[in-house]
Amino acid sequence: MELGLDVSTVGDHAVVEVKGEIDVYTAPKLREKLIELVSDGSYNVVVNLEGVDFLDSTGLGVLVGALKRVKAHDGSLALVCTQDKILKIFKITGLTKVFPIHPSVEEAAGASA
Amino acid sequence: MAAVSVEIPPRSPYVGVVRLALAALGRASGLDEEQVDELKIAVGEACVNSVLAHEEAGSEEAVLVEYDDDGSTITVQVSDRAGSVEQLGGSDMQDSQGFSSRLAFSVALLESLVDECRFEPRDGGGMITHLAFRR
Repeated sequence: MELGLDVSTVGDHAVVEVKGEIDVYTAPKLREKLIELVSDGSYNVVVNLEGVDFLDSTGLGVLVGALKRVKAHDGSLALVCTQDKILKIFKITGLTKVFPIHPSVEEAAGASA
Repeated sequence: MAAVSVEIPPRSPYVGVVRLALAALGRASGLDEEQVDELKIAVGEACVNSVLAHEEAGSEEAVLVEYDDDGSTITVQVSDRAGSVEQLGGSDMQDSQGFSSRLAFSVALLESLVDECRFEPRDGGGMITHLAFRR
């Protein structure tokens, strides 16, 4: 299992495009990337989950950890997701109330600009 | 369908192996893709909890995953040697800032996606997670 991570910039947002399965094995790679971005001064982050096939509680924990890090710098962390099977994970865990979830990167970056 | 059991080393790469195997078994049992996705998530969560408990305890003992289908109910049992029923619902469920923990997310997913979810102490130490999917 590989986790693909591509970072780009949209406006003043760092956009992390994730591809593959985010689980207990791959989530540390995402955690490291998000920590690196915040350490480098990117406090407004968009995580694009459109290419994610699977997400478990470890991945949710990584996203919550990243949210806490950017909030400590008055930043933001928004998600992009339109897949029902991934959205269901956020709904069940109550995280739709914690993360702004948008249908596109442009909307996510625009909404928290 | 015959009962199937698999033992995995308590390490994170093997959780994905169990998910793939159980997804194939679920399809062979006639589940649709949405049900297979739910089976994968639930079994994955049970295995993650066991594997992380083993890693925390420094235990090398195997995690046992058993799958059975009696025609009306699919049951999956994940048995470990390091998990603890007491940690479920305890202080491990929330962090110091009030955010739910990974374990709280895991339990929410387990209890939501399966028809029956029980956590029991295992004879000789550890925990058993019972999952039942009714048709």
